[in-house]
Amino acid sequence: MNVWRFELKKAFQSPVVSILIMIFLFFNFWLIYNHAGIREELKVTNQLVERFGYKINAEMSAKLQNYYQSKLQKMNELTRKKFGKTYERAGDFFSEYEYRSEVLSEEELHVITETAIVESYYELIQKIDETYRHLDLSQKAKMDIKMYGLSGKTAEVTREYYNKLNNRLDELIEAREHKNLFFIGYVYRMHSFLFKDLMRQMIFEVMILVVLITGHVTTYEFQNQTHLTTYASKRGRKLMLDKLVANLLASLCISSVILGATLLVYFLVFDYSGLWGIPISSFFNSEFPFPYISWWKMSFGLYLCCVLGMFLLCQLFFAAITFSVSIWIKNSYLVYAAFSILFGLFVLIPGIVPKTSPAIFWTKYTPFSLILNPHLWFIGWNVFFPKNHEWLTVVIWTCLLAIATTVTFLKFNKEQIN
Amino acid sequence: MLVVNHVSKSYGKFEALKDINLEFSNGVYGLLAPNGAGKTTLIKMLTTLIFPSKGEILYNGTNIARLGEKYRELLGYLPQDFGYYKNYSPRQFLSYLGALKGMDKKVVNQRIDELLKLVALEDVATKKMKKFSGGMIQRVGIAQAMLNDPKILILDEPTAGLDPKERVRFRNLLSELARDRIVILSTHIVSDVESIANEIIMIKDKQVLYKGSIDEICKKIEGMVYETSIPYEQATVFKKGVFSLSEKQEDGLLKIRFISKKTPEPTWTAVKPNLEDVFLYVYRDDIQESSAL
Repeated sequence: MNVWRFELKKAFQSPVVSILIMIFLFFNFWLIYNHAGIREELKVTNQLVERFGYKINAEMSAKLQNYYQSKLQKMNELTRKKFGKTYERAGDFFSEYEYRSEVLSEEELHVITETAIVESYYELIQKIDETYRHLDLSQKAKMDIKMYGLSGKTAEVTREYYNKLNNRLDELIEAREHKNLFFIGYVYRMHSFLFKDLMRQMIFEVMILVVLITGHVTTYEFQNQTHLTTYASKRGRKLMLDKLVANLLASLCISSVILGATLLVYFLVFDYSGLWGIPISSFFNSEFPFPYISWWKMSFGLYLCCVLGMFLLCQLFFAAITFSVSIWIKNSYLVYAAFSILFGLFVLIPGIVPKTSPAIFWTKYTPFSLILNPHLWFIGWNVFFPKNHEWLTVVIWTCLLAIATTVTFLKFNKEQIN
Repeated sequence: MLVVNHVSKSYGKFEALKDINLEFSNGVYGLLAPNGAGKTTLIKMLTTLIFPSKGEILYNGTNIARLGEKYRELLGYLPQDFGYYKNYSPRQFLSYLGALKGMDKKVVNQRIDELLKLVALEDVATKKMKKFSGGMIQRVGIAQAMLNDPKILILDEPTAGLDPKERVRFRNLLSELARDRIVILSTHIVSDVESIANEIIMIKDKQVLYKGSIDEICKKIEGMVYETSIPYEQATVFKKGVFSLSEKQEDGLLKIRFISKKTPEPTWTAVKPNLEDVFLYVYRDDIQESSAL
């Protein structure tokens, strides 16, 4: 009989876990619901992609211009009929919009909104080259050095960082990764919504559940006074190995439930059907003057998969950390407290390191720092988000936790169980 | 054969057991000592939960720590404070322990049926244990210890919580089991082992004081145990000169059983010592200490 199955059962038998899962899912659905007002507008992006493809080139731009002109014409016919007035830009209508909404039916308003969105796409396409021409990364390096108070070695690292990012930017422009349609980031901020608001919320929710479950399962025998019976059985102290497997599996199960249900609802509400292959570094994905520049060419679909992979790896790390702490402490409540303290320390330490010390960078190579900004994973944003930050963190922490777990097992094997 | 070879156990500066030497072959061994004497420490070493500070424990010539799973596979153990999962039924709990004991699922299910019947819990096999009495829990504990049909059955205070009828049933069961296995029964209740133990082991001052059959151990105080009847008013003075074992009223007098090394008086009747007499005499200081507390 597989012992880990019994251990896995312990993980999910607690009503606290089920209740928390339901509460967390409710929070996630509520967040999506609050953002769902723009779902109809987002459909326009898919319609454009369906009609013209997502690659922006001269031919596509010309077709889009024609399409926009016909849309504007239709809109002006409507506004002439309704208000005796035409507009040069659909956007101009909305400066007077609130006084006229009552006169328009929902369908008529939709025609105008759609025209305004197509217009935004058409106008923004004209600005792409100019925007990227004005991106001065050496200037950004100077600003970062000033803003973070860096000097000496750390300032040098910052300059090198932006040189590297500049090379990537040139490569990106050369490959025309930026010239692809996507939801308009300046308006809808869908990247931040999905990868920052929703994903970070889910990371913390799953982390709470993972720590609760791992602490509970690992200390279960000691808390229920069955440790003498269980560790004197044939399986003996190797039971901890089964618990480790069960904890890791439980972490994956919990992640799957939270991620699966939330993302299912998310993608049912927001239509990404034509956008999976669009590079994440698209100009349209930008939400701030500085665009998202992924370190590698990554489509939205691939980016999402990588983020989900990192999500799962971080949760496995949290399970492994909690597991090791649990073997030393053996009291689930103290384990939760210890994990919280560890979390706080790992997040605070980079902030108290002297600005001249390179430690300011490498103290951020922790899963605790990583989960604070999931929307910037694999993206060159500032000197604290270097290329390979995520992979190196994974490699370093896999090694560290493998050592910690082995030491903990050896310690437990020699431990007096009283 | 299970051999405890010059085993000592220390916790920092505190020495719990000193140079213990024992041999166990098939039969019932009564580990008899007052609470705190080191019985549980010895048992935990026999179950590999703790390790000797000095010496070694061998099973058929190999150190049990090295045998690991192969040794524990032969082991059935009921700890003194038997813990259980309140929300599990006896069947669920025994299934889990069956898995830990490396048993096949079919065999476990069959064995659970047999054992629950044996400990008279078949009617509550699927009921959650949170509603069970202390005696019922102890019976679940006994069932789990016997689940893998162990070659070495170690029971630490197994009769705690059992009613007199259950105790008798349990003792008979152990006698039967001991024919082809080692049964080590740790207790401070003399009657638990008196009728069934082939050998008694007494621990005092962190060392084995006596190891032998009940008759051999009782010989240690042969010729020293007497009974006499005295008026109540003489009792206090009388008891100052002897070690009183038991007292009861009889025909308006106090009938007293006692140990004395002095020349017997004519009114004293020499009686055959029993195990309880030895226990009370050997641990007189510990008993007086715990009474004072």
